[in-house]
Amino acid sequence: METNYETIIIGGGVIGNSIAYHLSERYKGGILVIDKKFPMSGTSGATQAWVWVHNKTPAWYAEFSMYSAELYSYLSKKIGDVEYRRTGGLSPFFTVRDLEKAKRLADSYEKIGIKIKVLSREEVLEKEPFINPKVVGATFSRIDGNVNPFRLIDMYMRAAKKNGVHYSTYNRVIDIQKQNGQFVVISEKTTYVTKNLILAGGPWSRELGRMVGVDIPVNQVRGQILVSEPLKPFLNYTISGLRQTNNGEVLIGYSMEQAGFDRSTTLDVIQETANMAVHYVPSLRKAKIVRTFSGIRAMPKDGLPIIGRVPDVENLYVAATHSGITLSPLIGTIMTELIVDGETSIPIDRYSITRFS
Amino acid sequence: MEKSTIICRCEEITYEEIEEVISHGARTFDDIKRLTRCGMGPCQTKICMHLVNKVIHELTGLPFQDIPLPRLRMPLSPIKLETLATNSTSFYAVKSVLDELELEERR
Amino acid sequence: METEVLVIGAGPAGLAAAFETASRGLDVTIVDESTVKGGQLCQQTQIIRALPSIFQPMRGFELAKLLTNQLEDFSVRYLLKHRLIGLYRDGSVGITNEVDVFPIKFKKLVIATGAAENAIPFPKWTLPGIITIGAAQTLINRDFVIPGKNSVIVGSSDFAMDVALQLLDVGVNVKAIIEAQSDVLARDKEKVKRVKKSGISFYLNSSIVEARGKDEVSEIDIQLPNKRITEKVDLVCVDGGRSPILDAFYQLGCSFGYQGELGGWIPQYNEFFQTDREDVFLAGNAAGVSSQGAVIVTGMIAGVSVCESLRIIDNREAEKIRISLWRELENIESSLYPDVWQARINHIKSFKYPLLKNQFIL
Repeated sequence: METNYETIIIGGGVIGNSIAYHLSERYKGGILVIDKKFPMSGTSGATQAWVWVHNKTPAWYAEFSMYSAELYSYLSKKIGDVEYRRTGGLSPFFTVRDLEKAKRLADSYEKIGIKIKVLSREEVLEKEPFINPKVVGATFSRIDGNVNPFRLIDMYMRAAKKNGVHYSTYNRVIDIQKQNGQFVVISEKTTYVTKNLILAGGPWSRELGRMVGVDIPVNQVRGQILVSEPLKPFLNYTISGLRQTNNGEVLIGYSMEQAGFDRSTTLDVIQETANMAVHYVPSLRKAKIVRTFSGIRAMPKDGLPIIGRVPDVENLYVAATHSGITLSPLIGTIMTELIVDGETSIPIDRYSITRFS
Repeated sequence: MEKSTIICRCEEITYEEIEEVISHGARTFDDIKRLTRCGMGPCQTKICMHLVNKVIHELTGLPFQDIPLPRLRMPLSPIKLETLATNSTSFYAVKSVLDELELEERR
Repeated sequence: METEVLVIGAGPAGLAAAFETASRGLDVTIVDESTVKGGQLCQQTQIIRALPSIFQPMRGFELAKLLTNQLEDFSVRYLLKHRLIGLYRDGSVGITNEVDVFPIKFKKLVIATGAAENAIPFPKWTLPGIITIGAAQTLINRDFVIPGKNSVIVGSSDFAMDVALQLLDVGVNVKAIIEAQSDVLARDKEKVKRVKKSGISFYLNSSIVEARGKDEVSEIDIQLPNKRITEKVDLVCVDGGRSPILDAFYQLGCSFGYQGELGGWIPQYNEFFQTDREDVFLAGNAAGVSSQGAVIVTGMIAGVSVCESLRIIDNREAEKIRISLWRELENIESSLYPDVWQARINHIKSFKYPLLKNQFIL
């Protein structure tokens, strides 16, 4: 059994898998993805999977997200159908005060070349007839959309495997040491040795960081999501907080809680979310909810991605972020550039882990 | 078992499909669910849980005590949104995206 | 809404637990999604003999009536056509009547949600006309509907024998009982004799290879040890065994163990029928699939333990009653199902060693 690799990626979520796939396209060294459970048992399997650009702030982060969103169509051609739909994104509001905020947002985006329209009430209802007629307006962007996270990760994995990437699942990493310029990754089942180490542990980044003596300030945020029975297609856009999937189910979720690593759902939040849903789309009242789930999302201390080299430790890299689904194609591409070319095609200094020290 | 035998009747997932993802490393019901949609239908694993765990046992040799339950969730059975909705307007955890924006600006 | 003892499930176990608590003065609320009290017993026409000593042998639906009637003298709050939907952060349960969802605060919870039947998969098993034996019994005895004209039964447990006789009673032709094992699984030999006398063929070491039909089942291929036959049927009743219904326990964060003879995964519990959540007790088939009499005793033990934990009876008194109830349980269970009894003992012994726990913590 192989234990020597050129690159080991710890974390088999959407980020780890995207890196594995993109890297394996350009790089002939051995790659191993190791996960303490199975891909999608963490954050990436418990998400609405929006590919969302248009409310991100600051504007340069929105730009970053936009580049990633734009990579999705080509990605689908390469790895297979991941049910990516660039539906356009609608963020409705119901008070005049929010209209002001929306206008400011549109202006700031204008400067970096992302087109956001502030729609009037009539325009919103024309685009999305089932939204509550009390709506005052909405911000709208053509770039936003959604993807099927399960298919995305399944396709990344299959493509990566075809390129020779190895996977070790149900295998928790217990310790990491540095020996003779290499990393010794000690996991439950085996001890591996590698030149490059990429930490893509999502909400568990802090724990992984500790093993290599690096502070990776990533906190956890819980989001609870409702899943409806399949309904005939009636929502045209990805509406912030809810969207309709390929098979007709409507996913609804707007919550953020501090809950550590507890993935329970609670009737309190479920009922609040239901209130929001029927407020936004009154005709959803009659729809049945068949399931709720919750995901623990990675939330870096300042909300922005942590991507790139760890300066004091040679060949150590971090990729931890909120909105992993939106950013996966770009992060996979950037990390590959970093490892293969030694530099990235767009600047990522703003995302460096050094900003925290 | 016959490859075409349906295991998840809600989503019509066959034995063959489950066998394929197990050969790719899937080991628990939830792994299989995420890769095939098995268990995502209206019955939410009520009918297929027993069957899938049997298939896992057959194909991996894992004893039943090592094959965990799928993650079971609320609602315990389907319920209409209007029944869940209380029409209250005070929210503790639920935010609209523009609210997040305001928080961001304050930061 | 607030109550002292909240019982989920108005089947025999829930009703028995309700009696032990309400008759000692506790404020009891029972929730059941059905419109009737008595659970599975309501549709059981066979005579049940193995019962706690205070009961005479009687038919299932008569027993349901008795268990219901003995509660009449006490003010028990019934929430029929209500179901448990989830939990709130503060620990109260969410109940719905299909119009609203509202919390119920309780001091002690007794979950008696029963067990659900398992399917038996074979090619085309999802054709209409292929149902479980429990569904067949429900159709006949609750809905007064004849489920088919020509049938086979897959499986040979005691439950399957009851349903075979009930099908015959209403004029359904039962062509065969198909059992995969080399022996009939039913323990009640008298009952098996009656079924055999009726002329039903028993195919042992056999199984269904395939079902066929256009919009419903019309024939099946059966693999016998030395040949394959085809039977024309419009009804196939499958007995895949039953598994405890675990949703409520799972949401409450209870941990679980595995005992095949009790139906598979079951919540961890001790000899008080208390789970590893101090205020959550359980009873009935949810605590391990067993016979009706046994299931009633488990409800009684849980009820007594609840009273003890709420200091309505003292430890000595509770222990005394529990010892005699456990003896009853042993009598009823170990006579026909010693393997189920043994599994229960093993399960209680391993209370501190759950196989599945912290299911919501990543």
